[in-house]
Parts: sequence; C-alpha cells; structure tokens
Amino acid sequence: MDMNVTEIVEILTLVLFFVGFYGLITTTNIVKSIVFISLIETAVVLFFLGIGYQMGIMPPIGTDLDYANVADPLPQALMITAVVIGLTGTAVNIVMFITIFRKYGTASWENLKNKNSEQGLC
Amino acid sequence: MTPILLGFLIITGIFIVLERNIARIIIYLAIFSLIASVCYMLMGSPDVAMAEAIASAFTVIFFIICFEKYFSFTDAVIGTSGIAGRRIIPLVFTLGLFGLVMYFRPISYDTMYLGELYLANFTTDVGGENPVTAIYLGYRVYDTLFEALVVVVSVVAAIHLSAFSDEKVKTGQLITKETHSEVHESGLAVYAIQIICPLMLLYGVYLVLNGHLTPGGGFQGGLAIASFFICRYMIYNVTDLPIRKIIRMEELVFVSITIFAVSIVFLGAMAYLPEDLYLTFQIGYMLIMNGLIGLKVACGFIILFYRYIVIEHDGV
Repeated sequence: MDMNVTEIVEILTLVLFFVGFYGLITTTNIVKSIVFISLIETAVVLFFLGIGYQMGIMPPIGTDLDYANVADPLPQALMITAVVIGLTGTAVNIVMFITIFRKYGTASWENLKNKNSEQGLC
Repeated sequence: MTPILLGFLIITGIFIVLERNIARIIIYLAIFSLIASVCYMLMGSPDVAMAEAIASAFTVIFFIICFEKYFSFTDAVIGTSGIAGRRIIPLVFTLGLFGLVMYFRPISYDTMYLGELYLANFTTDVGGENPVTAIYLGYRVYDTLFEALVVVVSVVAAIHLSAFSDEKVKTGQLITKETHSEVHESGLAVYAIQIICPLMLLYGVYLVLNGHLTPGGGFQGGLAIASFFICRYMIYNVTDLPIRKIIRMEELVFVSITIFAVSIVFLGAMAYLPEDLYLTFQIGYMLIMNGLIGLKVACGFIILFYRYIVIEHDGV
C-alpha cells in the first residue's frame, strides 16, 4: 500500500479528530468537554489546510507565483474565520459553564443530570 | 516534518484524554495549540498560523481566569455503569466511525481550480499582494460579514448569560476591592511588560495596516490589540475602561462594516470611478475594511476579557 504524504497528513488529521471525539463522548467533566470541542476544531482546520499538501509547500504571498508549489489560498481564508469563531464559541461555552456551576454547584454532567431529574426538569 | 508534528499533536490529544487534573489539561491545551500553529505554518498558511497563535493565547487566558476556582473538581466516577460502559463501548463506537470515515474518505485531487482562478486574478479584481486577504475581503466577503455578526452575537450572549443583579455591574462601575492579579507586585514583571506592551500595540496596528501586503489582517491585528489591554490590566490592576461605550462602539462598527461592504462590493460603487482612481480606491477599501474588522474584534475581546474579570471577582 503506497501512500503519498498528502494522504498521510489527511489520515493523521482524521485520527486527531477521532481522538477528540472519543474524549468528548467519554468525559463526564464539563470543562473537559469544552477543551475537546476546541481540540476537534483544530483537527478540522488542519484537515482543510492539509488538502493538497506537499513537502516544502510555499505560502501564497506575492504576485509571481508558481502554481505547482503554492498552497491553496481558499481554505486558508475560510479557516481564519473558523479560528476566530471557535475562539468566541469557547468564550460563550465558558460563560455557560460558570452559570451552570453557580446554579447547581457541580462540574459533572452526571451530577447535573441527577439534580435536574430531582427537580423534574428532564 | 508535518506528519511528525501531527503525530505529536495526536500524542498530546491522548494525554488530554487520559488526564483528570484540569490545570494540567489547560497546560496541555497550550502546548497543543503551539504545535498546531507550527503545523499551519508548515502547511503554507502563515495567516492561519498567526491567528491560531494569538487565539490560543486568549483561550488559555480565559480558561485560567475562569477555572481558577474549579481546578479542584475532577471527574466524578459514575457508579451505575462499569468500565465497559464508560470506556470500551465508546472506544468501539469511535473506531467503527473512524473505519467508516476511512472507507468513504474523500480523495484528494491535485487540482485547485478555484484557488488558481483566485491566484491569477486577485490583483486586478480586489488588489493587494496577499490572496488570502483578497479572498476574505473581496470574493467571499459574505463570510467576513457573518463572522463579524457571530462575534457580536457571542459578546451579547456572554453578557446576557452572566447577567447579575449586582448594581455596580449594571452601571458599568467595575470597582473591585480585592486584587485579582499579583503581577503588579513583582517589579521585574512590571518592568518587562511595560517595555513589551507598546510594542504589542504597535505590532497589532502593523498587522491591521499591512494585511493586504503581508500575512496578517483584521482578525489577527484585532486580537493583538486586545492583548495589549490584557497586559495593561495585569500591570496596573485597573478596571476603569468604559465597557458600556466599548459595547456601543462595537455595535456601531459592525453596522458600518455591513454598510460599507454592501455599498462597495454588492452595489459595485467602484465601477463608477475613473480608471486612475480605481487602483487607489481598491487599496483604500482593503485598508478601511481591515481597520474596521480589527477595531471590532479588538472591542469584542476586550469586552469578553473584562466580563470574565467581573465574573471572577463576583465570587461563587
């Protein structure tokens, strides 16, 4: 099975995504959930930027460019937006966690579920 | 080089999965983001690398400020389901999903049709020398508008989710008795930060103003400008910024970004200009858009940071 470096990068980013996914579905701590969401975002950004990766690829800056050896600018422009939106999402997640912690006094999903079912909320 | 760094990223991710101490997880997250930033750079995208480096610094600062009091909380062991329910079944599920994704994996083609089209035409269509900036300010300006909208909505959500009945928060008078940061007691740290602070502000302004020529732009420059205010808080330990006015300014800047972009790009106002003015106006459009985006992002993150300080001071 011969694989070039583009495929290796693609598979490694997918592995990273599923490491984050496994952590997200197994953790019982809300803080860890927020950390895993930002980890998955990083994996997605790496996947998009790794499309068409070659060894020694050049950044697309300037006007006289060799198209064979230059990175695709379109995913980069999309991913800058994704990074900033991920940061704001993390910020809102943190505020939501603090609100939950003040109301229920717990940082665990299981305890939160138990307290909600005691009050008949779910 | 990039596959090796990606391997390090996976190892760091597994460390985060296995670790139970929140403080260590945040340190691992900082290391993770640093390696990811180097990976982006090696993949030929300095713009995204810069954004990730500054954004990860913000993430770690937010985590540390907010979770200082919750560091002692670790995972509660669930009594009802055993090791099989907690670890083995999710592992099998994840491996099955991974196999499915590998089977239906999208095949990378060597062509980059749209990218080559943009690279060939961006200097005449939008202007500047950085195609990434040209794409997010010219060809795909919708994305930038909605990104700006998302930042505004997040700031509003963060403020309203942490709505207190406290009077001093309502009036905007964030007078705090106790001190949060102890950095100002160390003379060396204060001296070092005082030297670095103006340079950081200068660097942020440079990134904003040169976004169309070099890697950088509104997002990265705005984040760098906001980090200047964080340093200012750390050394002087003051919360005297007029937060209400900054919120109003962010809203106004968002409205002006929308009106400006819509009038220039969608209505095609530049087409009515004479030929010799056209090139000048292209650069002017990119400068103004980058400046407005930088101002808006900086405002948004200053508001979020000071909101966190208020939350932290308010006590649990």
